Amino acid sequence: MSILRRSLLAAGGASLGLHLLRPDLAVAADRTLMIALPNNPTTMDPLQNSNHDGMAISNAIFENLLEVDLDGNVVPSLACALPTISDDQLTMIFDLRDDVQFQNGAKFSAEDVKYSYDYMLDSKNRSIRRYIFDRIDSISVESPTQVVFHLKAPFRPFLQYQTKFMGIFPKGSREQHGDAYFANTPIGVGTGPGIFVDWTPNDQMEIKRNPTYWRKGVPVWDRVIAKIVPEESVRVAYLSTGQAQIISAPPPHQLAELAKTPGVTVGRKTALGGLWFMQTNNLRKPFDDVNFRKAVSCAIDRKKLAEDVFYGTISPSAVPAAREAPWFNAEAEATISYDLDRAKAYLAKSKYPTGAEFSLQVPNPPYLIDTRDAAVVIQSMLAAIGIKMNIRSQEMPQVLASMTAGNHVATLLPLMAPSDPTFHVQICYLPDQQQSKSSNYSNPVLTNAVAESYRHTEMKDLLPIYHKIQAILAEDCPHVWLGYVVVANAWREEVKNFAVNTGLTIWTRDVALG
Amino acid sequence: MSWLGRLASSAVMLVLVSVVLFGLVHAIPVSPALVVLGPDASADDIAQFDHEHGLDLPLATQYTSWVGGMLRGDFGTSLQDDTPIGPRIARTFPITLELVVLGFLFALAVAIPLGIASALWEDSWIDHIARLVAVIGVSVPAFWLGLLLISWFAVDLRWLPPGGFVQWREGVWPHLRSMLLPTVTVGFYYVAIISRMTRSSLGEAMAQDYVRTARALGLGRSRILVYALKNALTPVVTVAAMSFGYMFGWALIVEQVFNIAGMSRALLTAIFQRDYLMVQGIVLVITAMFLLANVTADWLYRVLNPRLSA
Repeated sequence: MSILRRSLLAAGGASLGLHLLRPDLAVAADRTLMIALPNNPTTMDPLQNSNHDGMAISNAIFENLLEVDLDGNVVPSLACALPTISDDQLTMIFDLRDDVQFQNGAKFSAEDVKYSYDYMLDSKNRSIRRYIFDRIDSISVESPTQVVFHLKAPFRPFLQYQTKFMGIFPKGSREQHGDAYFANTPIGVGTGPGIFVDWTPNDQMEIKRNPTYWRKGVPVWDRVIAKIVPEESVRVAYLSTGQAQIISAPPPHQLAELAKTPGVTVGRKTALGGLWFMQTNNLRKPFDDVNFRKAVSCAIDRKKLAEDVFYGTISPSAVPAAREAPWFNAEAEATISYDLDRAKAYLAKSKYPTGAEFSLQVPNPPYLIDTRDAAVVIQSMLAAIGIKMNIRSQEMPQVLASMTAGNHVATLLPLMAPSDPTFHVQICYLPDQQQSKSSNYSNPVLTNAVAESYRHTEMKDLLPIYHKIQAILAEDCPHVWLGYVVVANAWREEVKNFAVNTGLTIWTRDVALG
Repeated sequence: MSWLGRLASSAVMLVLVSVVLFGLVHAIPVSPALVVLGPDASADDIAQFDHEHGLDLPLATQYTSWVGGMLRGDFGTSLQDDTPIGPRIARTFPITLELVVLGFLFALAVAIPLGIASALWEDSWIDHIARLVAVIGVSVPAFWLGLLLISWFAVDLRWLPPGGFVQWREGVWPHLRSMLLPTVTVGFYYVAIISRMTRSSLGEAMAQDYVRTARALGLGRSRILVYALKNALTPVVTVAAMSFGYMFGWALIVEQVFNIAGMSRALLTAIFQRDYLMVQGIVLVITAMFLLANVTADWLYRVLNPRLSA
């Protein structure tokens, strides 16, 4: 009896001691995936989320009809297959899965799809993604497992835009819970592999495994905790010490060293939608002259920037297409890529043959990638042909406000988008789009070429159109394109089934812990 | 000035700070509507947002409404996500307060013995070490010191975690481990300041006539030190109290480096998000803490030097 009592006391004491010293061991062992992200999202609502890092969590809660896989291919998700598209490209018929239920137990159906899209498209609800879906005319429900999208005009990129920029939620859930619920505590309103648990702003976000998830065999983790760690060196320390198993955006200058660290893998992939460029206002001096814009484009040594400033985390390109993309037009790119003699010749032909002075806005703190050092190097490159560039550090909201209002002269900015080749072309160079005023450029030939691209879905038909679009833009040079963001992640050896996503966001669903 | 007068002047100061703060925050060029609604928000969207949040009202009306709410304990709701600000401050304030208190105690625990030793053994090896600590303390920026400590103690030695705030409920030792490096980072600068102040103040006191007389009367060294220290600590208390207030500012950097979700980090986020009410609420809380530290310093000053109360 006394032995039993002593044993119990010893066990209790050991348990207390363990709790005091290492409570992480005292709790039941579970499979928790820890990731470290640089940014603090402002919302979990798929209609309002613009934070690509935070989407690592919100995209595990909400799903859409289609998704883009890690290699950038559009594949079915809540739909059984890719849609059937009518000959006039104005109708897309989606057959939906019949085995999906929301995290609150409600069965997923076509009514939910119609409700979600109608809610997003209603201007009263002020979804930040409304403008990219505004070609949807109406949505009709044919049966619980079939929904039809009627478009105002052919719109191929609709398929690409679905994954990141929209999610499906249950019919009536907005009226039941309110928008704040979706923004802060979206429990039970998604169909994804992760159920929302907790979000402490500036600290961490947590989801747990959805036990009724419709895909069999995933997720294999019990929880995902995303820590918000803004300092890049500290993110590396989290990885080194095991406090995080995957980190986003490791510091470029440490990538080579990290790759040599035992037990750590570094992966990189060019984001085909991650354009880095100098947005120039074609109505403001000195960018009101095409030859001046071309002189700037030809004076910038993008390869040097990519290697010496970004340590390979930028893939250089002088046109709005990544050189890794199948639609890249090398011929068009060659006409405005780095060539100092050609830069001087363009400058001599311009209205400003002896050079000019302009101000460049640079986001500070940085947005997505740190371009501040690159701005200084570009400043010296332009000085070589007599162009004086003044750098103005501005906060991101001010940068966006002046760009969208068309007040800026020039802005150095990355924009992250789906991998669709026409996304940036649409929003920047077509009339009445989100960033049309950033260039104040328009060209009916380009507008028609983009509209033509929306009528096709096969690459063999699209390729000549994409090449034509890049050739037109290289000729008019409304902006100075610099390259594409190379997404980098680093992860520990216990992480299995993980690969870098072309869309910047860490994709947690299939990750296993070895 | 009497206690009542002192408190009244602090209250007036708080009101003045609230006016200046309100004016400065509303002078920021970019509208919060644009930050919250995104760049494609139409003029109608922005007008509706401003109307819903009272941002279209005259500034004087907005100010009185805000102050009225504060007097009732209502900090308002966040412009970013429409959640109440009060509970968010209540959740993050204890974290920052603990960091500052620990940093303050660390600074006092190291600085005062170091300052005393330097004063008693001038130009000895210990005085040289104290001088070196002081030079490093005032020269090394907090963010750099924090990163160095993480590199040494978390990455190389694996003794301490590189960041994050572990709650008390998750264990006493894990909590203290998580606070150790941030505490040293937030307090190290003030080790330098307070130790130098202690040294010079005690050095002066030890040269006073009453100390010489005490020595001549044959009083013990430790007894003399107690008398001298009581006089020498008066300016140290003032500096220490000011340091306590300033540490709330340092916490902003330290919370960022060590990934601690305290009130200072919430302030930084609110500034970037143009969350006016959140910024105003947090800055006012920090101001109140600063004033409270000064009032406490006044009180201690009088305790140490009763002639001031006479």
